[in-house]
Amino acid sequence: MDVKVFQFNGCKKCFNETLLLKEDAKYKVEFVSDPKNWKGEKGDISVITGYLLPSDLDHLELIKNNSNKVIAYGDCPATGGVFALANQKGHDVTPLANLIEGSNRVHGCLGEIEELKFAISGINVPKLKSLCQVCSRKATCDYLEEINRQIELEDSETCFNDLGFLCSGFIATECKEKCIDYNTPCRGCKPSIDRSGIRMLAMFGTLAGNIEIATEHSVKGATDKLGDDDDDLTDSLPDVVGNFFRFTLLTSGLPKGRIPSSGTLLEDVFIGRLIEEIPLITGLLGGAKSISLTLKFIESYEDANQIEVSEQTKKYRNELLELEKELQKAIDKEDSANYREITDKIRFIAGNMNLSNIFFSGFKSIIDVNDDFNEYKTHVFDVVEGTYKNGSIEYTINPDGIITEIKINEKLL
Amino acid sequence: MSDCEIPDEYIQERIQNIVVFMCNECGQGSANTAGVARMSYDAAIRIIRVQCTGQVGPIQIMEALNNGADAVACVGCCLGACHFFNGNVISMHRIKLMKKLFKELGYSDQFVNQYTSRAAEGETAVGDFEDIIDRLTTAIQEKGTIKDGC
Repeated sequence: MDVKVFQFNGCKKCFNETLLLKEDAKYKVEFVSDPKNWKGEKGDISVITGYLLPSDLDHLELIKNNSNKVIAYGDCPATGGVFALANQKGHDVTPLANLIEGSNRVHGCLGEIEELKFAISGINVPKLKSLCQVCSRKATCDYLEEINRQIELEDSETCFNDLGFLCSGFIATECKEKCIDYNTPCRGCKPSIDRSGIRMLAMFGTLAGNIEIATEHSVKGATDKLGDDDDDLTDSLPDVVGNFFRFTLLTSGLPKGRIPSSGTLLEDVFIGRLIEEIPLITGLLGGAKSISLTLKFIESYEDANQIEVSEQTKKYRNELLELEKELQKAIDKEDSANYREITDKIRFIAGNMNLSNIFFSGFKSIIDVNDDFNEYKTHVFDVVEGTYKNGSIEYTINPDGIITEIKINEKLL
Repeated sequence: MSDCEIPDEYIQERIQNIVVFMCNECGQGSANTAGVARMSYDAAIRIIRVQCTGQVGPIQIMEALNNGADAVACVGCCLGACHFFNGNVISMHRIKLMKKLFKELGYSDQFVNQYTSRAAEGETAVGDFEDIIDRLTTAIQEKGTIKDGC
């Protein structure tokens, strides 16, 4: 079967993952990393990866006219993905379905290769369970007393939401990347229902029912009304867009953002996000450079704030950086067996290809059963206002831990 | 946002559809009392009766806004007096998050609100309606409503 894979803008993680199609001899795979100069040639299946802009329409139409089936692979072409957070600042990231009609989609960040194979052969994906059904943590759904921003590792049996962390498991299906196994609440990249972000907002608003909110006396109505002042609820959720609409800002029926843009599209994705979310976001959009990008952010913060890092942590981090280089070589050579081997090694240390296990000051879960986890365990850190710099990145955070300025002088691969 | 004055007529023209979800107990009760007492309120107010404001969430609010509502508000029982358990408080939490969401997207947070009223006093509901219109006026003056979007 003739499959062409087109990489549009942004992170190349899903594009690289399609290398695994080559393991199966029945697929004749061709990679087009520059679809803007693609001349057009009849084919059977076209797979679109990377986020899309309205300016890509002509190229997409050319692809559609030359293929029997178009598949949006990964969250970026399917729903806008994490790059769509830039639409909060007026950018125009657009899902494939809004540009051309009749496309199929495979959700996930990273998209799952097995599901892509199903989509290529036209078979429906077997019904997946919801993430909460496969999660080992137990939920009580009691009202929360407070919302926490950073994970404490002690409790591995209680539902993240019950502990006050925002876990999008309610609206997600089971997946391969499974952040929840690495002490990371689900980010909802594989939604089980439409408008998942806004549903999650409703669910979490209900759970937060015990947290104090500001009410004021309504002079005209002579009763109480909801106030406009900041309160415990808004203070503990400084970034509603980033937390609830990480992948679904475009498909939740919200109006387009009007915050003035302050840089490139990539930089706008980061502005307004929280410092503890940064490793999660860089892991998602860093492409083949996600490991070095994530570590640059983390290490700049650790160095400036004298957060101690153990030898064991450094060893694992260096291993990851080596693996990143090897992975790039495997991708350049289009060597799928080697690619699988290296990504398995990365998953062993970093949890998954979204690097859920990497965090400030260490790792969130035990990597090797022979290790003493206390030697590289992450811990809750203080938010310190300031500007942090490391090589090609520079960012400023405010006292609430929100990124206010950022410069990234790096091309993502 | 420009500094130019927005004429009152324009604001009047812009206030056409305000969806108010009123709970079946205190909210709708006070609107009924207002009706019995022949109190008048703005014709832009469109009441939707619900069992409890706890039934109304971001999905319904967005649906209303995306289908042409200028503002959406919930009117429930007074704090601590929900006829079920705490539906009014839960709804307030959701609406507070919606307000924060709109602010983060660069809009005004004045066109989504929650109020309380007392079934025995019609003026509480009418006062709430007036407050909804005041807040929407502020949002229009700030050019912060969804219809002002790009």
